[in-house]
Amino acid sequence: MKMKRFMALAMATVMGASLLTACGGSGGTTSTTTAAATEAATTAAAETTAAASGETAAETTAAAAEKTIEPTTITFWHGMNNKQEQSLTELTEKFNAENEYGITVELVNQGSYSDLQTKLMANAAADTLPDIAQAYNNYFTDYVDKVVALDDFVANDYPDWDDILESYRTENSEYGKITGVPFNKSTYLFFYNKTMFDELGLEAPKTWDDLQHIGEVILEKKGLAAIGYDSMCDMLEAALRQHGEQYVDETGALFNTAGGLETLEFIMNMYNSGYARLVGEDNYFSDSLSNGMIGGYVGSSTGVSYISTDIEGKEFELGVCPVVGDKTNAAYNAGTNIVMFAKDENNQKAAWEYMKFMTSKESTIKWAMDTGYLPVRTSAYESDEYQQFMAGDITAQAAYEQAPYGFVSKASFTGSNEIRNVVSTTLNELITEKADAQTALDTLVAEINDVLQ
Amino acid sequence: MKSTKPSAIIADIVKYVILIAGALFTLLPFVWMVLSSLKSANEIVQIPPTMIPKKFMFSNYAEAWAEAPFPRYFLNTVFIASVTTVGVLLTSILSAFAFARLDFPGKKIIFSLFMATLMIPGEMLLITNFITITKLKWIDTYKAMIVPWLANVFYTYLLTQFFSSVPEALYLAAKVDKCSDLKFLFKIMVPMNKNAITTVAILSFIGSWNSFLWPLLVTNSTNMRVLSHGLVRFQSEAGTKYQLVMAASCILVVPIIVVYLFLRKYILEGMSYTGVKG
Repeated sequence: MKMKRFMALAMATVMGASLLTACGGSGGTTSTTTAAATEAATTAAAETTAAASGETAAETTAAAAEKTIEPTTITFWHGMNNKQEQSLTELTEKFNAENEYGITVELVNQGSYSDLQTKLMANAAADTLPDIAQAYNNYFTDYVDKVVALDDFVANDYPDWDDILESYRTENSEYGKITGVPFNKSTYLFFYNKTMFDELGLEAPKTWDDLQHIGEVILEKKGLAAIGYDSMCDMLEAALRQHGEQYVDETGALFNTAGGLETLEFIMNMYNSGYARLVGEDNYFSDSLSNGMIGGYVGSSTGVSYISTDIEGKEFELGVCPVVGDKTNAAYNAGTNIVMFAKDENNQKAAWEYMKFMTSKESTIKWAMDTGYLPVRTSAYESDEYQQFMAGDITAQAAYEQAPYGFVSKASFTGSNEIRNVVSTTLNELITEKADAQTALDTLVAEINDVLQ
Repeated sequence: MKSTKPSAIIADIVKYVILIAGALFTLLPFVWMVLSSLKSANEIVQIPPTMIPKKFMFSNYAEAWAEAPFPRYFLNTVFIASVTTVGVLLTSILSAFAFARLDFPGKKIIFSLFMATLMIPGEMLLITNFITITKLKWIDTYKAMIVPWLANVFYTYLLTQFFSSVPEALYLAAKVDKCSDLKFLFKIMVPMNKNAITTVAILSFIGSWNSFLWPLLVTNSTNMRVLSHGLVRFQSEAGTKYQLVMAASCILVVPIIVVYLFLRKYILEGMSYTGVKG
């Protein structure tokens, strides 16, 4: 009897303790941050600014002096599987074997992107983030203060930052500091059934009018939708940008304008006329294209490996072209960056060596040729090696063609994640209801502003 | 079936047709999984889908098997699920007995508190538990995957209900015969509620077997991962290799089937107690 009583009490205590821990989270963070700052301040005592921005000052001193890095192990959390993981492992093993400082990078597979995102979030709360990790900008909106600012590393110890594609540099600076280096980059392209297009006398589209024409012809002759978009929220933002409009920022929707209405007129007309259709249960249009059930679709360049062009009785030639622009070109970039969380100064320096290595011309070429991701450097695109590879790869050619027009959604404000979901859901509903452009515009604007209130 | 009246025979026929249809219907996803696991990458995305693969791609199994260290994942999963199940049985039986039979001050309040925790969604506890595990420095250990699941309020509640329905007279009679509480519990109470306890064991085992997020959160090395982590390795940002997922799922499901064959009787009885879907 006493034993039961004790057990009941013990359980109650455990429950109570776990509640306390929840409240203690922020307290723990503060204390470690202070510790790190103190440490950095000691190292860079000579610097007058040390007290204000401890870590930054320490880095500047270190980079200016001769570089010394103690042998250490760096943990890298990633979400790469299959051949991507293979290539990543090969590159990392090369780095581990060849770097002169005795740095070992340990790769830790954390499942898929969403698993990685959850893990990072939990570890940010527990203050146990890895040294570096793959991340989209919207992963760390809530804990951007834990991301190491790389500005000084880039300024002092990165010979050719301008060689990195501009859209990637912009993306990695959106928080007002450099938060990462671009890693596994892809872009949205238009994949189409070239056999069908040739048969109907259609060319790869170049303008919105072309898209509409293709839609009319394919619907009339084949009874099929001509176009689909794997990601609806990215489709909307791309279309707005193509039409010279803005999308969303922390103040709310920015496209409640004449141009915004024109954009939605175009979009809703495509869907309401049956020229475009929703993806439905499949999630990706690659299967539809493989089965000759759609003329073409806009999807990630990495999705090309999921298109089968040789299903019995349905063989076709695949065509790939840049996403069609209107007043200007705009194509959605996807793929993560490598972000640093390391607190220890030596680990930061070591991690930086790895980040430099992974984004070097040589590495990014190998990575791109192995995996179908895109090189992150202009010089890599222009190298003989990659040009040769590109000659035999229509996806890479199209990606190269639209490289200057890449963009990503603004992620550096609270609610950006939710807006992505809300916009996708709302667009799906509007299209299912065959809403007119004005209703679509009003509904979208209202839903977006709702999130931010 | 003893009756030979025509109407009874017709009734039997109707009954069995419905039962057979139901059985086929239930079996279909499983058959589909097996057949899909043998299709080529082309055939699996073909629309309309084919039922029987044109060519049996047994290589899918080899490919899926090579993608992750499945034997290690398997051992981890079995170990974690078994220890968790034994542990949860022990805590649930003891606490259920206390709630059902013993009198102690604050019993009702503590029981209500227990019940109240059922209202907290698991997702809310995720980060809290994770921080606790981190502070204990249990990351990447079996402990982290087992200890948080050793007590389960729902199972405690379930067993409390069953234990309460055992007549008090039995307990008092045992007391008269100088039987200790523990002895009464394990000699009389537990055997009398064998089916309910088996249900808890099965639910706990299956829950542990299928768990994904928590083991992923608290582990970092490949050696500590579990079977469900092997399955996500066939997904990427742009699509899923369904044929490999299916092949891996087939491999995954075999041990469960073996367990089922041995425990069929208890599982069926247990399921009918809780109304949980199979």
